Amino acid sequence: MGINCKTAVDYISKKEEGKLSLVQQFHLWRHLAICYLCKSFEKQNKIIIDSIKIHSSTNSVNELLNKEEKQSIIKALEENI
Amino acid sequence: MEIGRNEQKATAWVNEYSDILYSYVVQRVKDTHIAKDLVQETFLAAWRNIDKYNGEASVKTWLFTILKNKIIDHYRKASTRLTDELAETEADQSVFFDQSDHWDKNAYPMDWGTKSEGNVESKEFYSILAKCKSKLKEIQAAVFTLKYIEDLTSEEICKELNITPSNYWVLIHRAKIQLRSCLESNWILK
Repeated sequence: MGINCKTAVDYISKKEEGKLSLVQQFHLWRHLAICYLCKSFEKQNKIIIDSIKIHSSTNSVNELLNKEEKQSIIKALEENI
Repeated sequence: MEIGRNEQKATAWVNEYSDILYSYVVQRVKDTHIAKDLVQETFLAAWRNIDKYNGEASVKTWLFTILKNKIIDHYRKASTRLTDELAETEADQSVFFDQSDHWDKNAYPMDWGTKSEGNVESKEFYSILAKCKSKLKEIQAAVFTLKYIEDLTSEEICKELNITPSNYWVLIHRAKIQLRSCLESNWILK
């Protein structure tokens, strides 16, 4: 018996983590062969995950606190001196 | 004299490290207010425990260690509201699948064509992605961040957040569906 799209999407996540049994892998493979919607989901999900990983691996300063926010932290620290 | 020196040190720490700590935390929590609070709490915790700092690691490394613990504490608090949020996300998900659990007509994943090629590293993409991530429920965002930004295994995430494997799969599954859909509406179709 085949699987539905909701299960296929769940299996796509599990496959990514190597948590699919052989039977589940077969069901997913068969579903993806005929369902272009889930196939698109799988491809787009990979694009999102890969881009998040690239972005988070660059440990750069890309968000700044303004002067007042920094001053408020300094004030809180000074109150604890 | 000592107080004056400490005040100078506090100012120097904040000026030197607050932006890099904030840049780190803002990618990992839902909104900027929480991110700012966590940065402030990190400095306060470091300041209160300054006598325990032995100078082996750099100040920056020490501050990051404190911040990472603060983020995990923040996620743990979110996981205590798990039952409520699971019920809410169940309702959210009903818009994606029909009664037979196939994609609902209104939620069909569209063909992204060439829009995504070479553009996923653009500033615009990340800004939309951040907005979409902020729409996730707190616990969904926590699981997603621990998985894909902190690179933890599902077992480690379950242990950190004290959730069951079954809850983990439900949360990660829904987070991905919602993120993809939000990106499609706000980036691909714009």
